[in-house]
Amino acid sequence: MTMFRRFAAQWAERYRKMSIQMVLSLSFTAVAAVGILLMGVSLIWRYSSASEQLVAENSQRVLAQANLNLDSYLKRMMRIADTAYYRVIKNSDLAEDSLTSQLSLLYEANRDDLVSLAVFDSRGGLVSSVPLSLMKQDADPARSDWFQAASGNMENLHFSTPHVQNIFGDPDYPYRWVVSLSHHVQLTRDGATEGGVLLVDMSFNGIEQVCRDVSLANGGYLYLIDKGGELIYHPRQQLIYAGLLEENNRTAAGYRDGSHVEVFQGQSRQVTIKTVGYTGWKLVGVAPAARWLTSSPSLFLFGLALLLFAIFLMAFLNFLISARIADPIRRLEQSIKALEGGREDVVIEEGGCYEVQHLSRSVRSMVSTMRHLMDDIIQQEAQKRRSELEVLQSQINPHFLYNTLDSVIWMTESGQQEEAIQMVTSLARLFRISLSRGKSVIPLSDELEHARHYMNIQKIRFKNRFTIQIGAGPGTEGLYTLKLVVQPLLENAIYHGMASAEDDGRIRVAAYVEGEDLVIDVEDNGLGMRPDVAASLLDEDRPEVRGSGSGIGVRNVHQRIRLTFGEGYGLAIFSEPDEGTLVRIRLPALTREEAGRRQQGEVL
Amino acid sequence: MRDRKNTTVEIAILGVLGAFALLCLAAPQLLRDREPRQLLSVSVLLRDTDSSGWTVARQGMEQAADELGAELRFLTLASYSDSGEQNELLLREIDGGAEGLVVVPADAGALRDALLQRDGACPVVALESAVEGCAGVVAPDNALLGRRLAQALLEDWDGGGVLLLEPAPGCAGVVQRLEAAQAALEEAGVPARRAPELPRGGLDGKWVLAFDPSSTQQAAEWKAAEQRAFALYGVGSSTAITAHLEQGTIAAIAAWSDYAAGYLAVRQVVESTRGAEEELAPLAFSILRKEDIYAPENQKLLFPIMSSSGR
Repeated sequence: MTMFRRFAAQWAERYRKMSIQMVLSLSFTAVAAVGILLMGVSLIWRYSSASEQLVAENSQRVLAQANLNLDSYLKRMMRIADTAYYRVIKNSDLAEDSLTSQLSLLYEANRDDLVSLAVFDSRGGLVSSVPLSLMKQDADPARSDWFQAASGNMENLHFSTPHVQNIFGDPDYPYRWVVSLSHHVQLTRDGATEGGVLLVDMSFNGIEQVCRDVSLANGGYLYLIDKGGELIYHPRQQLIYAGLLEENNRTAAGYRDGSHVEVFQGQSRQVTIKTVGYTGWKLVGVAPAARWLTSSPSLFLFGLALLLFAIFLMAFLNFLISARIADPIRRLEQSIKALEGGREDVVIEEGGCYEVQHLSRSVRSMVSTMRHLMDDIIQQEAQKRRSELEVLQSQINPHFLYNTLDSVIWMTESGQQEEAIQMVTSLARLFRISLSRGKSVIPLSDELEHARHYMNIQKIRFKNRFTIQIGAGPGTEGLYTLKLVVQPLLENAIYHGMASAEDDGRIRVAAYVEGEDLVIDVEDNGLGMRPDVAASLLDEDRPEVRGSGSGIGVRNVHQRIRLTFGEGYGLAIFSEPDEGTLVRIRLPALTREEAGRRQQGEVL
Repeated sequence: MRDRKNTTVEIAILGVLGAFALLCLAAPQLLRDREPRQLLSVSVLLRDTDSSGWTVARQGMEQAADELGAELRFLTLASYSDSGEQNELLLREIDGGAEGLVVVPADAGALRDALLQRDGACPVVALESAVEGCAGVVAPDNALLGRRLAQALLEDWDGGGVLLLEPAPGCAGVVQRLEAAQAALEEAGVPARRAPELPRGGLDGKWVLAFDPSSTQQAAEWKAAEQRAFALYGVGSSTAITAHLEQGTIAAIAAWSDYAAGYLAVRQVVESTRGAEEELAPLAFSILRKEDIYAPENQKLLFPIMSSSGR
């Protein structure tokens, strides 16, 4: 079980690593091979059964013919016995006639088949015999099996098993094998009847000739046994008698007529039985069962070659078909791999059968959709960023506008027209720069101008409780900056740093170039804060606290810069309680051309 | 990479299948072209001047030759048991290309010397007497046979000396029988003497033991012709010997199946030629008297069925 699981696991592992073409071709070939082999086995089985049937039928046919010949031979012997009895013995009175002359005639007419004809009285005394008339000194017919069989059953003719004729003396000692036919007869002597036995000794050669030339299929042979299984004829009889060969004759005596399969001395063989009439003898046909296959190895090899060729053809077709099925899938897989590799000029072919074509179309459609979606996402991202910027820029606290306008009204009513005009002018310039025709990147000078106008307004509102100093260092001329990055910091400085100042508030804005960067410092001498609080101001997770400033918080400025220029840029806050706060803006030092390109990129 | 591997595997599978299919197609042709097995040439050298006493053994030999694919040549001697002539014949047959030999040795020692001259040229199987250097010997246990024959005589013995007919001195197997019989008789206190042949003038005793078929038949015929009254005990199962047994000329015989002996001898020589010989067991024999002749088993032993087909 464990072995099977390991084997199954190994195959599963191999299966996972196989290409679809290999899986298809091997699976189809294996199934085809199994099918063809099953068909072959079935054919062999059928052929085997048919062969066995054929052998059995052949044996039965041959045995029937042999039986016919033997039957004919035995009938001839029986006719001789009947003739001897009804034509000779019955018509003779032993007191007056001799049987010898008439028996001699009968013997001469059948001498090829007969060894002797003899008549004995009921005590075994010889009445008449031909061709020999002298009994051996020690002969005792009454004790012979044939005599006792005839005396015991008077109605029937009796056939003995082969034996050596041992009744009559012969100077040439021709010990002959005979089969004795004995029959009880009625002898007439002086008109009185008495019992006797007629003996017809048939030459064994007669039976041998009937059986000898009979051959069965597959090197089979035929033998003859009596009721008890004693051999009467066997083609290798003398070998059996000499003890050099064995035959299964005793077992065969127990078989019924028909074909049987037996295993004898480790060999399977088909045994066909046919009982001979009158005698109870059995003709036994033996055909070695194993020989049908070994006798025709050419046929077997030819069949095997056909099977292998069929499997070869099936495998070849399977490989072609599986390649045809798998090739479009493989090309599709290669296209997808190329896509994964980042190639954009990949052409996805539509080939193969319907499902693969559909799959290719779907993949191509999916790739196209993905490309569109990616373009859309890029555009949407750009749009989103611009929108965020716009949202951030538009977060100007309406309070600032309301307070400014209220201050203008108050100054107008109180006759401070110069201040009102200055305030309105600064407000107008502030908004003009804020708009900047929709541009997000503006010249540094404009940004500082914007800061200056904003501070003008605030100074009026806060009645000059602080001073402002805005300056740009050398090298900053012609540089560009993100719009509205200084004003929120100023607003923050005013509301958080200067709110509690008397007249000594001081705010300083300084722009300068540091390496490749443009740095703008916004510094106040206000209340300041602890460094940890200062650091937390830029924390994105910190909840936004909206104050009373312009609404564009320090964090928003930081986010806008990082969104626009990346993580390396943004704000840094340095503060100490009661010392003041320095907010440092770090931007890339953009020239006019770079600002123009960036502006274009945003639009795109 | 994977495509190349697939192609390689597919071509390998197709190649193997195609090769097997072609092999199976070609195999019958290859088998057919193989030359049929040649008949093995086996010479049978007797020590008699004719083969009439070997009719049954010859049948057995021919049966084996027919089954195993051999061709037999029977050779007899010009004079009985002439070992010189037999050795000449043996060497001539070996030089003439005989692939196997079955020999009834006239002189086992001389035969061994002759075989040494053609050491290993072809397998030789001896009948009746063991010969050193032979591929096998087909014979009964000669010593046992001699003892059993002597015992048969002792069962009838009622006094008097026993004459032991000596065979030709080179017939080692027959000499073995004689010596064993003599030992058994002497052990039983029965006087026994050897003689090369029956004394024509008359016998000292009324008991004669012969140890080979030829001398048994000759003694029986002489006894019948001369109407002598001695009891003869012999060896053999020929028709003539059986007839003498039945007529009472011979009191008892030691008989074995000559058919089996002939069959086994040829089978052994053929198998030796093909390198598959087996150890041969001694042939079974029986001591038969007149009353035993027609027992079914003895009929099979004494009267082999002579096939009308000539086999």
